[in-house]
Amino acid sequence: MSYQEKKVVTSIVTGVLVLAAYCIYVFSRYQSGVVAPGDLKFWALTILIFIGIGVVASIVIQIVFHILLSISIAIKKKMQDEKCDDKEIEKEVEAEMIEDEMDKLIELKSLRPAFLIAGIGFIAALVSLVLKYSPAVMLNILFISFYIGSLFEGFAQLYYYRRGLKNG
Amino acid sequence: MAKKYEISNNIRKLRFFANEMTQQELAEKAAVSRQTIIAIEASKYSPSLELAFRIADVFGVEIGAVFECEVKGE
Repeated sequence: MSYQEKKVVTSIVTGVLVLAAYCIYVFSRYQSGVVAPGDLKFWALTILIFIGIGVVASIVIQIVFHILLSISIAIKKKMQDEKCDDKEIEKEVEAEMIEDEMDKLIELKSLRPAFLIAGIGFIAALVSLVLKYSPAVMLNILFISFYIGSLFEGFAQLYYYRRGLKNG
Repeated sequence: MAKKYEISNNIRKLRFFANEMTQQELAEKAAVSRQTIIAIEASKYSPSLELAFRIADVFGVEIGAVFECEVKGE
């Protein structure tokens, strides 16, 4: 598995963890009867907090991932050649983590399924209002569909890295 | 119906004749990742014109010696 694929897998795992944490938190609060479906302030605040948690978690996990990857590259290089110096290791790490035109193209192409799912979620949220569900349902559909959209962006990236991008 | 163009390449052969240059070395010289070179070599990715010229430049040959195009049906 290449560096790019590992990076995508890390961000997918982060996304799944944050989404699972949100679902567990909200479900347990709702089940205990503390929150009323019409309490929009609670839902807005919870979603805002989890957006913040998602951003912080993805930054922290990416930093940890890069540190661990650099260490593993350094160990591998040292095992291959004991006499190699820090500059050689640094060069190896940079070469491994380079981002080029294929990565940018894959990133752009993967946005399409993400927007598609987010768009479907937006329409579903509007439909839920038309069907007279609580606005909290609409908020949850919006939040979850955006999150699932970003997860699908990751899956699409993995797919393109495996299958390749023929003719741009 | 539009013609279909199948792009193939001779990178593996050129690497062999360039003193068995590794994919990593080629990637470094062309300023891309090894993953991209692997994808191009396996015809899983069609590079931009700029990158195609850069790869040809690494081997010191014309772009036509690296990439070939076959027209498939009409």
